[in-house]
Amino acid sequence: MSRTHSSCRDIEAELVAVGTGEAPPATVQVVEAHVAGCAPCRDELRQYRALEGLVADVRRVPLPGTDPALARAELEARLADLRRRLVTFGIFSSPLGPILIARSAEGVSMVEYLESRVAAASRLAHLVGLDAVEDEAETEGLYRDLLDYLHGRRTRLDWPIDLRLASSDFQRRVLQVTSRLPYGAVTSYAHVAREIGAPTAVRAVAQALRWNPVPIAIPCHRVIGSSGDLTGYAGNKITLKQRLLTLEGVPIAARRALQIERRAMYVRYLAEGEYCLPTCGALESTPLAQLTLFGSRARAEAAGLAPCTDCRPDLHPISA
Amino acid sequence: MGRVMGDDPFEAIVAAHHGEIHRYLARVTARASDADDLSQETFLRAFRAHRALPASANVRAWLFAIATNLYRNHIRGEVRRRRALAAASTDGSAADPGWPEGLAMVKEASARVERVIAELPLKQRLAFTMRKIHELDYEAIGETLHCSGESARAHVFQALRKIRRGLDDLAGVPTESPR
Repeated sequence: MSRTHSSCRDIEAELVAVGTGEAPPATVQVVEAHVAGCAPCRDELRQYRALEGLVADVRRVPLPGTDPALARAELEARLADLRRRLVTFGIFSSPLGPILIARSAEGVSMVEYLESRVAAASRLAHLVGLDAVEDEAETEGLYRDLLDYLHGRRTRLDWPIDLRLASSDFQRRVLQVTSRLPYGAVTSYAHVAREIGAPTAVRAVAQALRWNPVPIAIPCHRVIGSSGDLTGYAGNKITLKQRLLTLEGVPIAARRALQIERRAMYVRYLAEGEYCLPTCGALESTPLAQLTLFGSRARAEAAGLAPCTDCRPDLHPISA
Repeated sequence: MGRVMGDDPFEAIVAAHHGEIHRYLARVTARASDADDLSQETFLRAFRAHRALPASANVRAWLFAIATNLYRNHIRGEVRRRRALAAASTDGSAADPGWPEGLAMVKEASARVERVIAELPLKQRLAFTMRKIHELDYEAIGETLHCSGESARAHVFQALRKIRRGLDDLAGVPTESPR
């Protein structure tokens, strides 16, 4: 190397920059001026420019032995698996207290009343086999739907539901039947048991609903005891059940226990297409296991029922 | 049903960047199976973390950073393994640094460049690859290597000097003056 002048050493970094095309115009000028009178540096610059050409070749030449398409396909399979397991959740404040909403790619998988954030963390830690990631943005739309519902601005939560957190097929059947209960209606655990073809499994139905992973969206609060007592809700949160039913216009009285006002409700017998006054025929003495009750005519008709042609609830509505 | 579950913006991230990240890792690992594993791990990590990424983030640079970190951890593991194997065995092949073989290039000149690149110190090699092969800006490279953009630039220039010197006595680069 014959680049021994101090001016050559001073300019070395700039020369590399110019040679690789990264220098600003002012630097280019300085370097061009220098190499015009310095053959070794001119040579050096030429070589850096040639090197750029070789690097461009390196960039273009495909790497041997690699198959990005195959690698991509494997990645997609792993991601699909991860997506299936992944649950995103948000924790929000609601009129019913802090609430956790979780969803997967398939639908809403969990709505949970929380005592605290700590409770939320431990609850999530129990979601075996699921990756849980907090993401309020992903669940905020659901939260807004829920607020609308709790403020009476909507009567349905048309959410796709992911029931993989259900513990058994029996529970899934119970939840599916329960999800069809219309807004403003109540029925009994015995009725649900009957509907799933297991009329004696009343206690098992009650247990299945107690562990409903998606309360409100699957309206287990519309299922009550055969005596008309509200009985349990999400453990011991019976006042939440009362609030949800009151919101839907179901009359409730506090006697020895919280109880629906059966005499103030319209009645559907089994799966008939009509609704009746509570006094129609033998309905007063019919067990709740065979009935669905509605808080108002409007609710019964919204569920697709016509007024009974015998008792004519349309002509003689229950007086408040 | 008003809502479509499962439309995932991450699909667009994979579509846009997987090919490049895989190429980058194939180049720096020089072993296709390592590139497959590391690129897969890069995107699985990214998938778990991308929700926390601000909307303004440079996703491409972020992916390069994840890939680079994984690769550097991977090398540390490799070195440990090789040392352990070398200590346990007198068989020279176990201590053989496996990379950067397998880069039989179609073009002889670029193959020479590849060989010189492979000899570079790690940070210079990574900085050079990200800058000159993938054209990342220096700030992004700096974040990837946990240094400033200026240092990243210095790494790249050091690499260029070494590569040029490495090619100095080879006939592939035309020179003006005989030496």
